[in-house]
Amino acid sequence: MNKMIRVENLTKQYKKSEKPAVDDISFTVNEGEFFAFLGPNGAGKTTTISILTTTLSKTGGEVKIAGFDVEKQAKEVRKNVGIIFQKPSLDLDLSAEENIRFHACLYGVYGYRPTFKMMPKAYRERVMELAEIVGIADAMFKPIKKLSGGMQRKLEIIRSLIHTPKILFLDEPTQGLDAVSRRSLWEYLNGVRRENGTTVFLTTHYIDEAENVDKVCIINHGKIAACCSPEDLKRTLEFDPTPRVCLPTLEDAYIEYLNKTKQNNEQTYNRPGNSRA
Amino acid sequence: MNKLITDREIVERKTVTAYRKSGFVRELNATLTILSRRVLLTLKSPATLIMSLAMPIIMMGMIGGNLSQNMADGLGFDFGKFMLIGMMVNMLFMMTSQGLASLVEDRHTNFTQEMMIAPISRYSIVIGTILGSAFMAIVSMFGTIVVGLFMGIHLGAGQLLAILALSPLMCLAAGAFAMLLIGCIKSKTAANMAVMFITMPQMFLSGAIIPIGNSSGILLVLNRLMPMTYCLDLTRAVVYAGTPEYSRVVLFNPVVTLAAIITFTIAFLAIGTFMFARSETHK
Repeated sequence: MNKMIRVENLTKQYKKSEKPAVDDISFTVNEGEFFAFLGPNGAGKTTTISILTTTLSKTGGEVKIAGFDVEKQAKEVRKNVGIIFQKPSLDLDLSAEENIRFHACLYGVYGYRPTFKMMPKAYRERVMELAEIVGIADAMFKPIKKLSGGMQRKLEIIRSLIHTPKILFLDEPTQGLDAVSRRSLWEYLNGVRRENGTTVFLTTHYIDEAENVDKVCIINHGKIAACCSPEDLKRTLEFDPTPRVCLPTLEDAYIEYLNKTKQNNEQTYNRPGNSRA
Repeated sequence: MNKLITDREIVERKTVTAYRKSGFVRELNATLTILSRRVLLTLKSPATLIMSLAMPIIMMGMIGGNLSQNMADGLGFDFGKFMLIGMMVNMLFMMTSQGLASLVEDRHTNFTQEMMIAPISRYSIVIGTILGSAFMAIVSMFGTIVVGLFMGIHLGAGQLLAILALSPLMCLAAGAFAMLLIGCIKSKTAANMAVMFITMPQMFLSGAIIPIGNSSGILLVLNRLMPMTYCLDLTRAVVYAGTPEYSRVVLFNPVVTLAAIITFTIAFLAIGTFMFARSETHK
């Protein structure tokens, strides 16, 4: 199976920082795979996503996206990826449709026209179809400022899919969304995966969202703590917090792995003769 | 179900394919898209439009008017006309530089990420932003012409058209120069200060309102270092061509001036764009 994402010994150390934010990590994601990259705040998830999507330079290692090197073939990488950033990146002074039109034209999907009506029929149909699916059709021509946080997030999802990317990076996509919006969003994203075979790279703090992924990687303190299927991860649980009620969840396994790496780190730092201690 | 495909749809599909395939058309389309966004944002902001029309009243009406009434005697040429051209080019420089500060604002709203992740050249981002800012600059330039008319200063239609034809090059030169400083700035306050730092010395040192034909010493060096000096001189060379005042007003050979403008614009654009892209990715 084709490797859509190949990360080898990736390291990133920010300027003026004493420790690397991402420390010699390696993993792969296959074509069409649903991949979850989990970790606590400050673990290095967003740094990794930024490097993988060419918006941040790396300090060391090799990263290939859809077969292209992120530094030497950045433009080719960008053609193949879509991203929903952790922080919204919409132009609040434009309307919802204008934001999408701007994105579609930047990606060269359509030639720029000054109004929605002047855009090609294929664009108009696709935008309205996507807006109907995620339930923001009525708000398409309203200024973004007037849309709720949930609607803005849905708009970002439409925008990231308008150029039909091979790989979709979702950096905490449901942050701030209510339960109904979260569910409808995941139904839509799962549909996109099924229909287009899109590879999805997800980071989230809602561990239940990663229950059905194909592979999960846990990153902590910039290092990979575990990388396998959710089932394998759950099988390695030493302590089952809910043995009599239900089966262990991915969240249980996730927390145990974080605790383990925390203990390991503390042991490393406290070891006699360790200069970092 | 068979779907009827109209001729228009066939043309649209061919156009879409062309945009996807051709690198040059894609970059041109991206530049036009970024340019159009800036124009749209200007049109959606009445305060910005009012400001771009009010600036000529301050610059041309107040500063220029005072100089014209008190210091214009004995120059050997019509100071009003000299100053009007100077103020028009100054407006192009000032408003384009101010418009470029929007790149810093985009960083704050994270919109820069949206542009940086697109599969387009960083030059398309910068040139699109400069040309989009030129829209506001040209509105201000027309405001200057109107204020000039109220002051009894006017240019011929041919001269105005010549200045209009040169204005995209002037804006590009102004934007490229501004990119040198703004390209690596991340704070909005610092960006606004940088705009003042770029525009104010140029207004006084490049001959926009004060003739610099007799400058010497350090002021002569500074005059020659200001990019706007060359843009002004080329504009005046075009407007004064064939008139008796030409030799008193124009400093350099217009062909050499044009070559100098093109050279420094390309150099500043390359350095500024490199610094802008680097400041985004190298953290």
